[in-house]
Amino acid sequence: MVLVLALGDLHVPHRAPDLPAKFKSMLVPGKIQHIICTGNLCIKEVHDYLKTLCPDLHITRGEYDEETRYPETKTLTIGQFKLGLCHGHQVIPWGDLDSLAMLQRQLDVDILVTGHTHQFTAYKHEGGVVINPGSATGAYSSITYDVNPSFVLMDIDGLRVVVYVYELIDGEVKVDKIDFKKTTTASHTAH
Amino acid sequence: MMIPDGIEDEEKWLAEGIAGIQHNAFYMHRALDANNLREVLKYSAQMLSELRTSKLSPHKYYELYMRAFDELRKLEMFFKDESRHGVSIVDLYELVQHAGNILPRLYLLCTVGSVYIKSKEAPAKDVLKDLVEMCLGVQHPIRGLFLRSYLAQISRDKLPDIGSEYKGDSDTVVDAVDFVLQNFVEMNKLWVRLKHQGPGRLREKLEKERSELRDLVGKNLHVLSQIEGVDLEMYKDTVLPRILEQIVNCKDDLAQYYLMDCIIQVFPDEYHLQTLETLLGACPLLQPTVDIKTVLSQLMDRLSNYAASSTDVLPEFLQVEAFAKLSSAIGRVIEAQVEMPIVGAITLYVSLLTFTLHVHPDRLDYVDQVLGAFVKKLSGKPKLEDSKAKKQVVALLSAPLEKYNDIVMALTLSNYPRVMDHLDNETNKVMAMVIIQSILKNTSCISTADQVEVLFELIKGLVKDLDGTDVEELDEEDFKEEQNSVARLIHMLYNDDPEEMLKIICAAKKNIMNGGPKRLPFTVPPLILSALGLIRRLQGQEGDLTGEEVPATPKNIFQILNQAIGTLTTVPSPELALRLYLECAEAANDCDLEPVAYEFFTQAFVLYEEEITDSKAQVTAIHLIIGTLQRMNVFGVENRDTLTHKATGYSAKLLKKPDQCRAVYACSHLFWVDDLDGIKDGERVLLCLKRALRIANAAQQMVNVTRGSSGPVTLFVEILNKYLYFFEKGNPQITSAAIQALIELITTEMKSDSTVPEAVSDPFFASTLRYIQFQKQKGGAMSEKYDSIKV
Amino acid sequence: MDFLVGAFKPPCNVSISFADARTRKQVPLKKDNGQTVMVPLFQSQENIIGEVLVEPTQGKKFEHNGVKIELLGQIELYFDRGNFYDFTSLVRELDVPGELYERKTYQFEFSTVEMPHESYNGINVRLRYILKVTIGRNYISNIVECQDFVVRNYTPSPSINNSIKMEVGIEDCLHIEFEYGKSKYHLKDVIIGKIYFLLVRIKIKNMELEIRRRESTGSGPNTYVETETLAKFELMDGAPVRGESIPIRLFLSPYELTPTYRNINNKFSVKYYLNLVFVDEEDRRYFKQQEITVYRLLES
Repeated sequence: MVLVLALGDLHVPHRAPDLPAKFKSMLVPGKIQHIICTGNLCIKEVHDYLKTLCPDLHITRGEYDEETRYPETKTLTIGQFKLGLCHGHQVIPWGDLDSLAMLQRQLDVDILVTGHTHQFTAYKHEGGVVINPGSATGAYSSITYDVNPSFVLMDIDGLRVVVYVYELIDGEVKVDKIDFKKTTTASHTAH
Repeated sequence: MMIPDGIEDEEKWLAEGIAGIQHNAFYMHRALDANNLREVLKYSAQMLSELRTSKLSPHKYYELYMRAFDELRKLEMFFKDESRHGVSIVDLYELVQHAGNILPRLYLLCTVGSVYIKSKEAPAKDVLKDLVEMCLGVQHPIRGLFLRSYLAQISRDKLPDIGSEYKGDSDTVVDAVDFVLQNFVEMNKLWVRLKHQGPGRLREKLEKERSELRDLVGKNLHVLSQIEGVDLEMYKDTVLPRILEQIVNCKDDLAQYYLMDCIIQVFPDEYHLQTLETLLGACPLLQPTVDIKTVLSQLMDRLSNYAASSTDVLPEFLQVEAFAKLSSAIGRVIEAQVEMPIVGAITLYVSLLTFTLHVHPDRLDYVDQVLGAFVKKLSGKPKLEDSKAKKQVVALLSAPLEKYNDIVMALTLSNYPRVMDHLDNETNKVMAMVIIQSILKNTSCISTADQVEVLFELIKGLVKDLDGTDVEELDEEDFKEEQNSVARLIHMLYNDDPEEMLKIICAAKKNIMNGGPKRLPFTVPPLILSALGLIRRLQGQEGDLTGEEVPATPKNIFQILNQAIGTLTTVPSPELALRLYLECAEAANDCDLEPVAYEFFTQAFVLYEEEITDSKAQVTAIHLIIGTLQRMNVFGVENRDTLTHKATGYSAKLLKKPDQCRAVYACSHLFWVDDLDGIKDGERVLLCLKRALRIANAAQQMVNVTRGSSGPVTLFVEILNKYLYFFEKGNPQITSAAIQALIELITTEMKSDSTVPEAVSDPFFASTLRYIQFQKQKGGAMSEKYDSIKV
Repeated sequence: MDFLVGAFKPPCNVSISFADARTRKQVPLKKDNGQTVMVPLFQSQENIIGEVLVEPTQGKKFEHNGVKIELLGQIELYFDRGNFYDFTSLVRELDVPGELYERKTYQFEFSTVEMPHESYNGINVRLRYILKVTIGRNYISNIVECQDFVVRNYTPSPSINNSIKMEVGIEDCLHIEFEYGKSKYHLKDVIIGKIYFLLVRIKIKNMELEIRRRESTGSGPNTYVETETLAKFELMDGAPVRGESIPIRLFLSPYELTPTYRNINNKFSVKYYLNLVFVDEEDRRYFKQQEITVYRLLES
């Protein structure tokens, strides 16, 4: 059981003062093995905070990030899964699944995590899974109306990943989960 | 008379004294074993004579005293057992008084007295009274002090208190109290007199040693507090007045300070509350050098804790008018002690404020009163420099924030900003940060423009350069932290009512605009975004709101935002400004304001053309423009064409070929929007894709083919994916033949470069082919479409 | 040879005994030779009854000129040694001149003897009571045997006993008010009083109370005064300040006092004084002396 926290688009301090208190109290150091962050933190303080939760921190660059040296894309392997990370403002049209699927094929990953739209989504398509953890602070988005703060926790276990999405709706934290199974380990054989 | 010159001499005399005690004790023990009373008395008196020395300092005398004390315990046991010495206790009491020297005589008398009381052959009160009066014979400060300390010690468990076995019919608690009080008064007098012993040059050393003896005196107060029979009435009528009388009369600053502090520590807070007037009344009567402020602070702190311990006690505070008494007492002390350093006055106010917050949390007027008194004290004086004082002022101002957890409460305190005015710039900023942290922590909202004004006035140290600030001195990390805090703060300014919200935004904007180019990049974005949030809320509402200066309409707000973003050029922050323009453009699109949206795009392009020169920045910028433009549905054909033309033009002019390629094929989406009819220009889509292909080709022919994923083959695969995208969307211009040709092209290209395996393209192409295969096998319309494509 | 005084053993032994020897209290008396013997105690107006036993030694009879017993009260002034002044002299003839060849006992009685003065052993004077048996002899010295006894007289508690209260001082240096509870004290009494400080400008080290006995003997040009300090009692250790009141409690029983003797037979007086002494830091002494009357209390 490997826990991976996926979050992004916090937009601190441009669009939000901080993570919601209820999220902060849930996120405790030492429980999570990896953090993948889609970008738009935007300041070093947020980076440092995430680092305290888990030292294995992966970030891609959002267009408002103070740190311009974050990579545009990143791939990493966790257990049997290959994960890809990208903020998403580079993929036009923004939020378009087919265009994201192309990126997924290009990065050759089982799970692609992107952001930018501030809208939680989790799609399974032929090439794998595309997840958008939304905005962890519920920041304003020109793309999405009525953004609720959300983040994703993935539990990777063998060939199975359970995606838990946590959303703050009207002051209460609601959890949902989605199951994904990988059919094979290798990604080269056609099916 | 006292205090030897050399420490070595003192050590020698102490050693001699101890030797003398031991020597006589030896013979005394022998006599004890033989039950020889006469000899016992003789040697015990000789032993006690060692305590008649004048050669020792208080510290050393104590050591000698303790030796004697231990021996006296054995003596007491002997006295107690009449079967050993055969003399009745009454006779023994007389017998020991035959001793010629007073000091041994009285030590023996106290020892016998202890046994006498225990025997209950006489009322405890009579014996105690006799002892405490006979001790008057020793007027030497050190010797007298220790003698009375001995008396206090042996009498402690024999006081005729209620519930004590030593309380006979004739004794009352008053007798116990009188005894302790009398001993206390005499001990204090002796202790004070110690000050004048010894030569002037050793005064400091002597004061230090004298101070070490203070607990001997203070112990009496502790004993008084432990007497069960001393209830509030007795304390009020007898105990406190007598103690205060002695404190005032002794006119010694060390004693006064210590004893006042003692009273506060040993007696219950409830008593202090009920005797507040008396207690405070003594303060102005004390020596001017007494650190009365610390005493008062202690008192207030204790009362604060008392108030905090239970709400039941709060009515008491009101009943005795504690606040009024304390604040006037403090006022008088500060007025009287002109020499008091400012940090002392501040400490007092901090204590008073803490007290007020605990006891009268609902009385903001009291809180303001305290701050007002402090301001008055500071008026006319230069800004505070002492670091301790500054820390205390921060503590003073933080207290209401911590208590109320609601910044709005603090904002209503009229004297609050006045206090801040007296801080130097640095401390002002520290305090401003404290205020912001408080707001953020409590997630409290500032909901009126007036409050916003007050708030910005308080934090002005962060928002703009104050007079006298040396900009060079600013530490970059600190500055960033400050400005980020201000940025966060802006999100706490909120009101549901759009009119008020607009006023808030305008008030905030007005204040941050004075911040200068260094601050604007931090403070302008949150303001813009907050305003965009307002605009979105207004979208749901109908009609104009009239009757206000600036009606809260999206249009008006956009005007304000446009101007605000424009200030970023002074920084300069063109990239940030560009992003903000694009956000506004999209918001204007959602409000159906075509000219406004167009204006924003224009501004964005101006920045792109003139200010954004870095190639990487250009790539991001152009993608943002394309991405935003792709979502616009408010533009008419002409405007749209102008903008898309510009976008595609700039895309093709990017520095690096791969970037050009990608930007151009991104532009293809400008001509095909899924949900709206009319913008599905298949031809122009294809034109873009073909253009992209050409660029990819050119890139391929350029220098190094062996560079990883930026190698041109990847580009072809990307373009292929785009072909597939539009193919699936039903663009008639994209044929399966074209796709097939592209596939073959890529395959050929890859084979020709088989010497250098391109790891990334390979899987990319493979997965793309897989995708095609998958679509072919999907069934239905999609399968049909893909039927002719062979992989 | 035979007529050298003391060369021979006395021809008889004389002993004096008291009738109530078993019941009468005995007190120690220091004799001229330094020895201390226990002798009976009498009060004035008591009866002194006893017997004299004369026992010839060697079994030989001896002749005498008569046997008498005298009760003498004597004052001896040491500067006039050997000169005894008898202020009381009573005699009983016990036997007429004759012969004694075996032991003989003579009873004697002195009734209601006026012994107004107490026995006193002083520095320059001595007052004693003796019973003296004299056996007269011709041509050779008389046989004399003496027996001391002590007389002590008791008086009841005085009806008037005022306190001694006085304010004294040295200008600008020290003003005090002292008070002794009584002016007349018995031998086992306690001196209760206090010292109140009105002005203290000198650096006092301590304060003592002395009991002094003044024995004055003789008169006119031959007056001798001897002062003895019988007690030194520390009242205060350390320097007081103005307004302090220091208690006095001095038990008289430990000290060898006698009652006050005023002009005993115009020969001597023994008076007692309380001497209040202040010692300053330079060991200078300031004092105030006050006479007290001492008496022997008759216990009821």
